Amino acid sequence: MPAREESLVVAKDLGKRYGDFIALHPLNVDVSSGEFFGVFGPNGAGKSTFIKLLTGQLRPSIGGVEVLGINAAKDPQKLKANIGIVPESESPPSYLTPSEFLQFVGKLRGIEDLDNKVEYWMDWFGLDEKRDTMCKDLSKGQRQKVMLASAFIHEPRLLFLDEPFANLDPIYQRKCRQWLLDLVARGGTIFLCSHVLEMAERMCNRMAIINNGKVLAAGTVKELKNSENETLEDVFIRLVGHSIEEAERLEDEEASEEE
Amino acid sequence: MADSSTPESLGSDSGGKHLNTPLVGWDAFSATYKVMFIEEFRENLDFAKKRRIMLFPLLVALVTMVATIGLQFLVGEGAAQGSDSLSDSSSFSWQEMRFALHLPLLMFSLGMGSFAFLGREKVLARTGTKNYLLASPALQPLTNSTAHFAYFMKDLSYYVMLILTPVISGMAIGIALESFTNVNTPLEFSSLPRTWIAMVVTLAQGLAFSFIASSLWLLGGWIGRFTPIAVIALGTAIGLGILPRQYFLWGLSTQQPDGLIIAIPALGASIFLAWVASRLVRDDFEVKVVSKKEIFLPAWNRLGFLGNGTLRLLVAKEAVDLIRSGSLKKMIISYSVPLIVLLLMAWLVDFAEAPIPINLLSYAPFLGFFGFNFYSWLTALDSPEHMNGLPLGVPQLIRAKVTVYFLATTWISVIFLCLMAWKLDEWAALPVGLVVMIANSIYIVCLTAFLMGLAPNKAIFDAKVMSWFWIGTVIPLLSLFLLSFTQGDVSFYENWADQVGDKGLDAEAVEFDNDRMAAGFKGILWVSAGLVGAALLLMKLLDRKWGRAEFNN
Repeated sequence: MPAREESLVVAKDLGKRYGDFIALHPLNVDVSSGEFFGVFGPNGAGKSTFIKLLTGQLRPSIGGVEVLGINAAKDPQKLKANIGIVPESESPPSYLTPSEFLQFVGKLRGIEDLDNKVEYWMDWFGLDEKRDTMCKDLSKGQRQKVMLASAFIHEPRLLFLDEPFANLDPIYQRKCRQWLLDLVARGGTIFLCSHVLEMAERMCNRMAIINNGKVLAAGTVKELKNSENETLEDVFIRLVGHSIEEAERLEDEEASEEE
Repeated sequence: MADSSTPESLGSDSGGKHLNTPLVGWDAFSATYKVMFIEEFRENLDFAKKRRIMLFPLLVALVTMVATIGLQFLVGEGAAQGSDSLSDSSSFSWQEMRFALHLPLLMFSLGMGSFAFLGREKVLARTGTKNYLLASPALQPLTNSTAHFAYFMKDLSYYVMLILTPVISGMAIGIALESFTNVNTPLEFSSLPRTWIAMVVTLAQGLAFSFIASSLWLLGGWIGRFTPIAVIALGTAIGLGILPRQYFLWGLSTQQPDGLIIAIPALGASIFLAWVASRLVRDDFEVKVVSKKEIFLPAWNRLGFLGNGTLRLLVAKEAVDLIRSGSLKKMIISYSVPLIVLLLMAWLVDFAEAPIPINLLSYAPFLGFFGFNFYSWLTALDSPEHMNGLPLGVPQLIRAKVTVYFLATTWISVIFLCLMAWKLDEWAALPVGLVVMIANSIYIVCLTAFLMGLAPNKAIFDAKVMSWFWIGTVIPLLSLFLLSFTQGDVSFYENWADQVGDKGLDAEAVEFDNDRMAAGFKGILWVSAGLVGAALLLMKLLDRKWGRAEFNN
């Protein structure tokens, strides 16, 4: 098992902008091995952009990021071979069956004993009966299971999950949660984005709350709370609500300046 | 752990010690190629039943067999394929026949090979309800270059399997019929392998040229701007014979006597070009998040002539899709480039001296043919599945797409015809030319829409659909093309088909015939009116054919 407290995700001044629109303000992140790190924020806060920058799907406008010692912008292919990614809304290829897709991603990663692993994860996610069904004909939840299986199949040391349980039924939500916690217990690391605060309380060692592309607060759940009586929802509303009010105030100021 | 039989962790160690190495090179290519092949087959199967997909190669073979038997009327019964000495008085030469085989194949492959555009569209659409392997490099350890090169090879082998091999099989059946029936064909079995190889070369070349053009365009900057200009210049130079066409139709060169040796370097060069094109495709998975000015309502406001109903709303929505997806520019350029090449050729060549009396009215019907490509593009802009929950029917969306096609392209064709009329000094024929062009344009796109609905790219391999499409397009187009020879300032070849059959390119003109010209003119107008009527009927029948269909492309 690898040593704990080893930095696996290190981002320095990492930021992303599209023209005048700032999707993510420059930020620093350091996630160590064995951590379950969560990024929470309202819809459109910049969570998916953040995860795409860390996994080499997007090139940063400024700053840089190293994951597992690999420069995400320079060698995204090597990075993707060593991590698992579950995107928020992407489906598996429409015209492949679940097992064909798992065979494909397994081969790309050079996994040994692939047939057994595909069988294992098909069974684990209860997809056996859908073995010959094309992914386009699966339900949303089943497609999500295929995406999760494609990220789990090589049992990576580091997983990036963007709203991973959004379409899963409660049974599989629990099963996946347990598997992820076990992975962390074995030295694995999870980087999770969500707006479901319950997950932070149940699973995360550390968390950050972001809105409008800015980190509003970061730390353990306990550190983020002002008092023991304050719930995480209170914290979220206090931080994000304030942020929204601030954004509206700035907009009003800009509008009055233009007038 | 939830299950006791969990496989061992493959987790990697950033300390170093064990990092997974992604598949690269040949291994990554072959793994991707295989699944892409399956994906392509399933996608085509999705539209039609398996039987109809399987029938498609049989249909191609059947049509080729008939053409093989008919060859004797074009090149003479006793002609041997290897001989070029028959370009005498009685028939088309083999060289002309080969050219007629390779040029359309090249045009087809040029139309199908813009993989860089296709890949970009798949990447942008991957968060929708459908996803394709071409977009998989966004998440998987695979480069865009490898995925695109695999896609090129998959398409090449798919078309060879589904189109070229059945064509050669049809020729073989045609030749074999000589043994059982009284039919004759000038083709010989020994020529078939070479013909097959030559066609593969042309197909590969067209796909590769189109692929590299699309890759260069997507690089942007001056290279992107220069690409269409270079394509126009190259096309015109080849068309005019400034650049010898055998240098650019590699398959045609392969089919010359002693030309077989060219096949390997030509095929190698095409694959190399495609490989270079794939290297130019960047690992760019960004979906630009930029704020856009509101254009839906302004578009809707400008469409008042469509009334206040659903059509106006859907046309406005489609127009916004077309503009925002960046496809409008690509479509206009793809539509205009071949027209500009034709125009430049007309500028520099006196077509009145051509063996076939081409005039303004000869061009008009063929402009409509671009409708198929444009309509296909319109149906691929976005997934329509979100409309399943709206109070809309598929026929309404199809009608909106047909309307958008008409609004977006007619002006280009009108400009082209006006410039042609100016060049050929055939202003008098322009009004009829416009009628013919518009009638054809409407008819072809309505026929495509009626037969193929929202999925023309899948429907092309459905034997039943393709049979009707061929019948529906060839008959009116050929009628108008032949009738056009009665017009203009060129002499009419009396009983033109017979004369060409007897004398080939040495067919002689007869006296200018006013009565025949008037009859031809009426014929053109009647056929055009018939096409408009047929188009309207097809639009009416949309409800019956697609009324209960799901929104799905």
